[in-house]
Amino acid sequence: MKTKTMVKALAGILVIGGGLGYFMYQTMQSSWAYYYSVDDFSTTSPAAHEYSFRLAGRVKPGSVQRDLENVTLRFTLAGAESELPVQYQGVVPDNFVENREVVVEGRLAAAGVFHADNLMTRCESKYQAKVE
Amino acid sequence: MAELGRFALLLGFCLSSYAILADLLGTWRRREELWRSGRNATIACLACLTVAMGVLWTLLVRGEFGVVYVAEHTGRALPFVYKLTALWAGAAGSLLLWLWLQSGFVVLAFSAADQETGRFCAHARTIANLVAVFFFCVLIFDKDPFGVSVTTPPDGAGLNPLLQHPAMALHPPTLFVGYAAFAIPFAWTFATLRSNEPDGAPALFELARNWSLLAWMFLTIGIGLGAWWAYEELGWGGYWAWDPVENSSLIPWLTATALLHCGRTYRARTEIATWFMVLSLVTFSLCIFGTFLTRYGLVTSVHAFPEPGLGMLFLVLLAHIWVLAGLLFFRWYRRARTTRDSVGSGLRFIVLNNWLMVLLAFVILTGTLFPFLSGLFTDNQISLQSGYFTKITAPGGLALLLLLGVCPHLWRHGLDTSWRTLGAVLVALVDLALWLLTRNLALVCLVSCLFVGLNLSVDVARQRRRGTRWYGTRVVHLGVMLVFVGMAGSGGYDLEEQVALRPGQRTEIGKFELAYDDLGVDHGPNFTAVTANVAVYRNQRKVDELAPSLAFYSQSGQRTSEVDIRRTLLGDLYLALTEVDNATRLITLTIYTKPLINWIWIGMLLSVLGTALVIGAVVTNGRPVPSGPVCEER
Repeated sequence: MKTKTMVKALAGILVIGGGLGYFMYQTMQSSWAYYYSVDDFSTTSPAAHEYSFRLAGRVKPGSVQRDLENVTLRFTLAGAESELPVQYQGVVPDNFVENREVVVEGRLAAAGVFHADNLMTRCESKYQAKVE
Repeated sequence: MAELGRFALLLGFCLSSYAILADLLGTWRRREELWRSGRNATIACLACLTVAMGVLWTLLVRGEFGVVYVAEHTGRALPFVYKLTALWAGAAGSLLLWLWLQSGFVVLAFSAADQETGRFCAHARTIANLVAVFFFCVLIFDKDPFGVSVTTPPDGAGLNPLLQHPAMALHPPTLFVGYAAFAIPFAWTFATLRSNEPDGAPALFELARNWSLLAWMFLTIGIGLGAWWAYEELGWGGYWAWDPVENSSLIPWLTATALLHCGRTYRARTEIATWFMVLSLVTFSLCIFGTFLTRYGLVTSVHAFPEPGLGMLFLVLLAHIWVLAGLLFFRWYRRARTTRDSVGSGLRFIVLNNWLMVLLAFVILTGTLFPFLSGLFTDNQISLQSGYFTKITAPGGLALLLLLGVCPHLWRHGLDTSWRTLGAVLVALVDLALWLLTRNLALVCLVSCLFVGLNLSVDVARQRRRGTRWYGTRVVHLGVMLVFVGMAGSGGYDLEEQVALRPGQRTEIGKFELAYDDLGVDHGPNFTAVTANVAVYRNQRKVDELAPSLAFYSQSGQRTSEVDIRRTLLGDLYLALTEVDNATRLITLTIYTKPLINWIWIGMLLSVLGTALVIGAVVTNGRPVPSGPVCEER
């Protein structure tokens, strides 16, 4: 009787856990984005055009262009060594300024321009800068 | 002045450590004078913390920029109110506030020193002081609120204008009241496990239950204020972005909700009792972990592996808590007389509800930690877009919603063949079919809400014994249902458009037509604000005028956008001014329509009011906790 209950419980856990795990995996896969800093992101690798990415870097001073007619923001995302042009259509966060650390989410388009669907800035008082 | 604050912290640390020793020794040797001394030390520790709080507030108000914390979070130009609220603008001040609140609550709850409950309170104080000692360590050695810089800067960094908003001023302290109040059920659980009464209702259960109600209420207010602020201030038309900071408050809220349901149906020595204890441990641990997660940038940081420094102390603390709790639970289980076979068929649904809540908390936690977890196995972190959270929480959330409708019925009658049980099954099938056919989550949710609303009204119509407590619970459930209505409406039927407009031009969105008239420019001392005047037409009739604006700060180069919203119960029309060209008067507007969104705020308000009613009822005429494992159907 006791082993029977154990077997039942184990089977239940396996079925429910397996189902949940599979569902989680499926959902995760459809929405994952590789997280890179601009420096580590290679635009030449074939995988760069295939997946969604989330890239971190700084807004290069002097690179911000706001195209009002087409409702598009263009800027250059700069790391320590490399840079990447970014194009974004959407609401620009209030604390988007030059030199601010930002994170963009999106895909690399054909011309080597990163098309972002999401633009996030680091909010100072929430995410405190690391003290060096 | 700062020295006084630092000294108060050090003294508090010593008193807290002494209280642990005195209480431990007192409970072990059963010496009343020792635990009396432990209690007095705990009260003295609270006094020290009050001094530290007072000092920090004085420093902030007087603008002593020699203190690093003051220089980082205030400025000369900051309004007085925000100088006060700057106390919780950073990590150090927030932790101090939490510790102060927690000490206060512990003194309020566990100060009895009489023969009957004195020993139990000493047990509870021991663990609470242990947590306090960890907080003191972090405050003294790592995040020191009273740290002094070598040179005194002429002015502070000021407070981000985005955060200068009443909701944001109140959001952190309400959350911290919630977090700190969960320390009471947490400490109660430890005390219960340690005192190890063979049978009967454990001492002071009402206390643990009432404090968890209070904590839940404040946590709900805090989350609500945060969501409202995001909607009003951030200009992207949403209220919830599944950001780690937001998730870290939602995860303990979910387990706390399960905790409340166990508190409602608590019987000593049953499976529900175990649930109550485990959930109180989990909830408080998650409060601590969430704060660690966000305040130390484990997930949000750009760098793959930040240096958590002494923040790791929190992980050490959690490890201690869990090992200790594990050992105590093991002992408790071995001595327990009956723990099985006591869950009646009604209670089974409470257990189901618990499992669903815990599962939701688990998947959200996994998603939040995913960048960090994946970083352990691969070279690069993988983050999940917010779509993951919406999809993964939808089935569990909808199941909970349905359960909310039928649970009061199932609770009395079990699974029967009444229209309500069969209706729930039918609605679940209809939901599934609708989802497969239309892939419209919002529609599925609204159908479920309709069923839940029907059930709630039937409950109210049939109820004979109308107690405040019963009504309070219904109000909370109604509130939760309305939140679902708002989420479905604003998430599934919203429209979004970005347009560039010249003066005199018009644009359409949904049933509205918007006419951009002209730009108003206003020069302030350190900013220039432009306001777009937009007339709103519906069916060729002018119904409203909206004026979203944008302010440019000359010094920092930052801009702040003030959205303007036309609010109705049926939905909002939300305008954000995104870009402006002063010369040509060309503007870019982001326009959203958000159907039913105000029901989210109304629902949250009702939940809070309902909880307040329940608290009022249980405090004035608390039902004694039934002892023994008897668990018949009600």
